[in-house]
Amino acid sequence: MEFFEANKDILLFTGIAGAKILAFLGAVMGFTALMTLAERKVSSLMQDRIGPNRASVFGFSFNGLFHPIADAIKMIMKEDFVPGRAQKLLFTLAPFFALVPVLALFAVIPFGDYVMIYGYQVELQIADLPLGLFFILALSGLAIYGVFLGGWASKSNFALLGAMRGAAQMVSYEVVLGLTLVGLMMIYGTASLQDMVRAQGSLLLGFIPAWGIIYQPFAFILFMTAAIAENKRTPFDLVEGESEIIGYFMEYSSMRFAAFMFAEFIEIVLISMLAATLFFGGWQVPYLYDTGFLFPGGPALPMNHYLVAALQAGAFTAKTVFFCWFLLIVRWTLPRFRFDQLMGLCWKALLPLALLNILITGAVLTILAR
Amino acid sequence: MISVKKVNNKPLNLLERIYLREIARGIAVTTRHFFTNLLNPKGMPTIRYPEQTRPLPGNANLRTRHRLKMRSDGSPKCVACFMCQTACPAYCIHIEAAEYTENTVEKYPAVFDIDLSRCVMCGMCVEACPEDAIAMDTREIPGGALTREEMIMTKESLLRNLPDGSAHAQSGNARSGYDLTTPSEEEPSRKGAANRLANEYLKSRGEE
Amino acid sequence: MPKLTIDGKSIEVEKGTTLLAAAQQLGVYIPRYCYHPKLSISGNCRMCMVEVEKAPKLLTACSTEAAEGMIVSTTSDKVKAARRDVLEFLLINHPLDCPICDQAGECGLQDYYMDYSLAPSRFRMADKVRREKRRPVGPHLVLDKERCILCTRCVRFCSEVTKTSELEVMERADHSYIGLKEGKALDNGYSLNIADICPVGAFTSRDFRFKSRVWFLKKVPTVCLGCATGCLIEAHHNENIIYRLVPRPNPDTNTWLCDHGRLTYKSVQAGDRLSKGVIKNGLIDLEPALREVASRIDEARTSVAILGSPWLSIEDNAALARLAKDGVKTGSYCFDFNSEQGIKDGILINKDSAPNTSGVKAVGAAHGGIKLAELSRRITAGEIKLVLTEARAAGLIKQALKSAGTRLIVFAANRGEIPPDTYATLPYASYFETPGTFINYQGLRRRTEPPVKAPEGVKPLWAVVNKLAAYSGDSLRLESAEDALEGIELK
Repeated sequence: MEFFEANKDILLFTGIAGAKILAFLGAVMGFTALMTLAERKVSSLMQDRIGPNRASVFGFSFNGLFHPIADAIKMIMKEDFVPGRAQKLLFTLAPFFALVPVLALFAVIPFGDYVMIYGYQVELQIADLPLGLFFILALSGLAIYGVFLGGWASKSNFALLGAMRGAAQMVSYEVVLGLTLVGLMMIYGTASLQDMVRAQGSLLLGFIPAWGIIYQPFAFILFMTAAIAENKRTPFDLVEGESEIIGYFMEYSSMRFAAFMFAEFIEIVLISMLAATLFFGGWQVPYLYDTGFLFPGGPALPMNHYLVAALQAGAFTAKTVFFCWFLLIVRWTLPRFRFDQLMGLCWKALLPLALLNILITGAVLTILAR
Repeated sequence: MISVKKVNNKPLNLLERIYLREIARGIAVTTRHFFTNLLNPKGMPTIRYPEQTRPLPGNANLRTRHRLKMRSDGSPKCVACFMCQTACPAYCIHIEAAEYTENTVEKYPAVFDIDLSRCVMCGMCVEACPEDAIAMDTREIPGGALTREEMIMTKESLLRNLPDGSAHAQSGNARSGYDLTTPSEEEPSRKGAANRLANEYLKSRGEE
Repeated sequence: MPKLTIDGKSIEVEKGTTLLAAAQQLGVYIPRYCYHPKLSISGNCRMCMVEVEKAPKLLTACSTEAAEGMIVSTTSDKVKAARRDVLEFLLINHPLDCPICDQAGECGLQDYYMDYSLAPSRFRMADKVRREKRRPVGPHLVLDKERCILCTRCVRFCSEVTKTSELEVMERADHSYIGLKEGKALDNGYSLNIADICPVGAFTSRDFRFKSRVWFLKKVPTVCLGCATGCLIEAHHNENIIYRLVPRPNPDTNTWLCDHGRLTYKSVQAGDRLSKGVIKNGLIDLEPALREVASRIDEARTSVAILGSPWLSIEDNAALARLAKDGVKTGSYCFDFNSEQGIKDGILINKDSAPNTSGVKAVGAAHGGIKLAELSRRITAGEIKLVLTEARAAGLIKQALKSAGTRLIVFAANRGEIPPDTYATLPYASYFETPGTFINYQGLRRRTEPPVKAPEGVKPLWAVVNKLAAYSGDSLRLESAEDALEGIELK
């Protein structure tokens, strides 16, 4: 008992952090599993098809709800094949390099404001890093290793070609991705994501929510383009290019391949959360404050603290779902770029525009400060 | 000799080169489809084949599941001449010939298998058949199956006449341009088929 | 030496040469039904008619002798019209049996119709003359009188080659048909040749009947092992099944092939084909059987006798000789067989029923060995504890084995060949399944080519012998059949 008393703070901190990690990552993983089904269902609905509906348990298929489970079973049952000439260590490490950085990124994403539990203020974020944005940029840069090691260690020409393309593409778009966020940092004056979201709770001209999209609409478009390119999905799927080179994971099978695919789907969720957090107010609901709704012009709707927290977390989830859906729609609507178009778009169009955006933002901020 | 076709691609204008408007238009189309189908799944043209099938239009003129025609006594019209097996580009027909012991049509197929998993539904077998014994007029579209065995049609499953007599069979004949005076389904039994005349002749000569 | 011109090409031929033979020398093909190079000339089918300048009518090329200064055309409009008309006459009464006719695909009527006629029929089906169909006329043949075009090749074959004259043309004019003479059957031992020479499907083989269509068959040139004559044959096979053997006419040995030789392929596909070893009537897997035989040989060693076989190829005999000399190191081995050789019936069948008596002599000459009589003596005297040989060769020392009760181990391809009281049997690949060299009664070297594959695991005899030696700890270094031939002189 004495031990608990003495170390009460640290134990509580560890317990709460562990619970948050488990809950948030569990939710993200489950959601990602559903994304694999959503990918196929959304595309089928767009194309006037029914989509997967065959996997069933005791004759009930629930319109294909069991397909992610069936896929997982299939992936586990498959032969774990390693090519004879592959470099075994790197070949084994590559899927982890693809998966781990992406999962670590969720640490800095705030999925709510805070809740009071038995007098303790629990932040609804795993780790509120003061330099959260830089953490994101740094770790997403690490994901290149997964791609490149996978392609390199396979000792396959196609895999290596895919990896080369992947490295070139991801390094290039990393630059744009970083520059599009500079404008936001200048406006909100912080690199902490939680602070940014809180700053977006204020109102502009008394009734417009001060979301990032209002300040930086142009940066949002650039950000989405660069993010999709980072995600390596159509129209930027040169890295895989099923119809031509198959890609850096060509020699992978079984759960190793599943790790690469899963990382890709987790990235979709991550990009959606980032877009929601940075440009669409994160967990903010317009006119909702700690004590309840307070609409411009006077009318108010007082609310319980827990209800407010639930509403905010719900709003964050809804925004995430919307962007996930949007990314799927984009993926199944646009055709693939050519590689020279891809690089041209990055270096000749997106990069100058991102720099221009920073310049203009800076100029406006300087003028307003005067 | 390489033939060159000049394509008259008009250059993109500025608005198109910015992509954004065109992307928005494309997304509008796919989104419209998405929500239409989400709210009204019944309106989709896709059906759950093979559990659901769509009735063929009345004037459909197409090659469907094979059948072997029967004579009125239930024996196959097929004489195991192997023409269909020879003509088959997919090597899906397997025949084993056998001989009737009584003095009638000499040859018949003891085994006649069509492997539907190999068949390409080209209709070459029907074209090749000199006896008009195989037909693809059942208007049943072969569906999927879970095992290879289910995809193999044996002589027993192939051998049938259509319930409504010679309607489809005749349309086939009419198309091929031959004037067959006797409809195929009225073929007499094998006891009196090709060798009927020979037997009568021999009887009149007192032989045999 | 008359000199003549055929289709603008001139040639000088021996006196007495027919126009058809002269054209053949020039490479000009003249269609024919009744003509056969080894039969007398009949000239009844009228298919080979050619135009000769200054001759009032077309002449039959098969029966017209070449004369000095003849100018012959085989492609003139008159000749073409004549061929078309002859074909039309032949086809008037020919039934539409092609779908069920075994000749379809190698039928003279089909081929020439496509080459020279292509005219639609002007006669109704119902008016065709009907005759007896499907009559078995002997152990090997079926006769369909409707299909016959009365070329009389079969009649001439029976009267000139076999000289048995079973067949004859009955009645006259369009009533005529080919029939068996009263009280006779086509069982002269060469009857299947009639199915070959019949240009249509009138005579078909009962053995080949409805088994396969001829256009599916692939052809491999090989050698008949029915007797010491060693006829050249062609094996027709498809998907690892032999369907029939037909002769490969050659000036040295044979034009025809006897019925016995034609059916030798049956043993390869027979139900008693061995694919496992046999120990005292019980089937056993190959490896344990080999090990058992090797240990029995090891027990006996110098009291082992090894007997070659005139039914085996030179390679396999040589492997056995190597086993005796270098493996078992016994003095009791015999590669010396003497049989009277020569054509028995004046056509093809040899007095010596084993195909390789001469070949074994060559092995004996290279590797030495004792006489067969000496081997029998040693067995009878009880000096031998174990005899290793081929199943049919064991029959040559049957008496000695029986009296001494010696343990017998044989190589056999079929279970029916195994002699009674055999201790162990090892299977080997027959010469339809592996190549082998043979020497026929004329001293001509003949090599078989395998049309089919041996059953799973069954190896050629030389390879089995090599393995046997290896189990006993001796290496014969036989990597291929050619290794076994080392030291043997072949002409």
